[in-house]
Amino acid sequence: MNTCAPALPAIDVSVEAVTVTYNNGNVAIHDATFRLESGTICALVGVNGSGKSTLFKAIMGFLTPAKGRVRVGGEPIRVAQKRNWVAYVPQTEEVDWSFPVSVWDVVLMGRYGYMNFLRIPRAADKRIADESLRRVEMWEFRDRQIGELSGGQKKRVFLARALAQQGRVILLDEPFTGVDVKTEAAIVGLLRELRDSGHIILVSTHDLGSVPEFCDQAVIINRTVLAFGPLAEVFTEANLSMAFGGALRQFRFAESTVQKHDGRAVTVLSDDERPLVFGKDGHLEFSQRAGREAIVHARAETEDDQ
Amino acid sequence: MIENLGIPFQYDYMLKAMWVSALIGGVCGLLSCFVTLKGWSLMGDALSHAVVPGVAIAYLLGAPFALGAFISGLLAALGMGFVKARTSLREDAVIGVVFTTFFAFGVLLISLFPAGISLRTIVFGNILGISNPDVIQVAIISAVTLLVLALKWKDLVLFCFDPQQARTLGLNPMVLHFTLLTLLAATAVASMQTVGACLVVATLVTPGATAYLLTDRFNRMLAIAGGIGVGTSFLGAYASYFLDGSTGGCIVVLQTLLFLTALTFGPKHGLLASRAKRRLALEGKFA
Repeated sequence: MNTCAPALPAIDVSVEAVTVTYNNGNVAIHDATFRLESGTICALVGVNGSGKSTLFKAIMGFLTPAKGRVRVGGEPIRVAQKRNWVAYVPQTEEVDWSFPVSVWDVVLMGRYGYMNFLRIPRAADKRIADESLRRVEMWEFRDRQIGELSGGQKKRVFLARALAQQGRVILLDEPFTGVDVKTEAAIVGLLRELRDSGHIILVSTHDLGSVPEFCDQAVIINRTVLAFGPLAEVFTEANLSMAFGGALRQFRFAESTVQKHDGRAVTVLSDDERPLVFGKDGHLEFSQRAGREAIVHARAETEDDQ
Repeated sequence: MIENLGIPFQYDYMLKAMWVSALIGGVCGLLSCFVTLKGWSLMGDALSHAVVPGVAIAYLLGAPFALGAFISGLLAALGMGFVKARTSLREDAVIGVVFTTFFAFGVLLISLFPAGISLRTIVFGNILGISNPDVIQVAIISAVTLLVLALKWKDLVLFCFDPQQARTLGLNPMVLHFTLLTLLAATAVASMQTVGACLVVATLVTPGATAYLLTDRFNRMLAIAGGIGVGTSFLGAYASYFLDGSTGGCIVVLQTLLFLTALTFGPKHGLLASRAKRRLALEGKFA
């Protein structure tokens, strides 16, 4: 792990009783409150329509809360933006990949806030953009048009842009969709380095399985903040069931066709696809025993024979 | 035959027509890059029609046509914004309703008060008969547009590409939005002089679309589109002398020919290149 980066002065993100309403009067999210301090990777978790992206946008200053406020380093979001404190890595779907810009152009866009009125890059801007590209191992691709990259490479380019911006707070929207396993590991490694040097990383994701792998904290939301705190405390089955309700796919081993569980039943939760489960002999397992007693019976007999 | 080719350069009105066309064509060419990438082609068409009542009123009052056109274009843009924010209508429907309303109002005004300016001039342009005060207005519009683009093109590119990133950097996307919209309205007014309200959208889209097919770098796209704008407008005005045909028609036909050429022979996005790439991929797979 890279520890040569010096620890930066502390910063915090505080979301204070934020309520956001749509033009049509519907409330997207209400009374959301939580506070993040330097050196954390925090997951923002919720179903589609839970107000996850709305809250994300409110933190980035893309929309103004009807009530409550967001403060970054004690300052309003507008001031934080002027100081380049908040960097943002967009969802892959939000980017126009056919736009005629190169990888290098995109990374330099992260430096615009430091450049003069004409946005002419100085030597320092180029050096930092260069370093950022090398850090995500995309330097060799700097002259490529952005559409000519793989899913993982695209993600890394925008991560490099956030690095070039030298934001203290980095927000990532669904960073692992369309990303191969190797790149996911590389991104997680980089996020950990950033955390260790005092950055605040907020990751909006529906990929529940990945959250315990790399997050320190979690904010679980459904129209408001249901739970916030250290991952081990808030990432409970009860909280997730409350947040996801019927939207969560469950696979309870106690109710499945799996033969020899020891009574201490394991539950697999997935918000997207149903998990495919194979038993220890390579049997395909079904989530419900009901109606499949014959299979359970047959398998029980073969096991007895052995 | 050869000496005949020099004839247009002997007439002041032809010289004026050629350089004014080239200037406007160049400015529109540059702006067309932003229009095509932002997806504002329909908006360009709308604005070019929406300025017509402003021009009619300005001529009736004896005010500078650019001022009237500008106010009318801005009102249309605001009107579209208002209707779009208040209803759940699709954007193209809103644009369609608002710009045809403005255009119809303009046509009605001109037909009621025929003394001011002929409908023909507005709809088809009349660069060969452009008056000196109009040339000055066009020159001012072009100069201001070029200046704004020279100073702020990088911010505008960022706004077209990723307005959210512009905001996280502390830039105001609304300001950039209205800057681009204002430039679009202004150049639509200028371009109306050369090709007429009906064909303005071609000069604000075709050069950018052609350049897009030829390169995947924005600065090169600007250079190509600007060059296409200047070249086709100059040649179009020149050719219209010999053809004795509509200058606007000549300019836009030339641009379309270039677009078709780029579409066919473009090195990366061209039809032939795509076909070659497909064949190569198949051979690679089954060889």
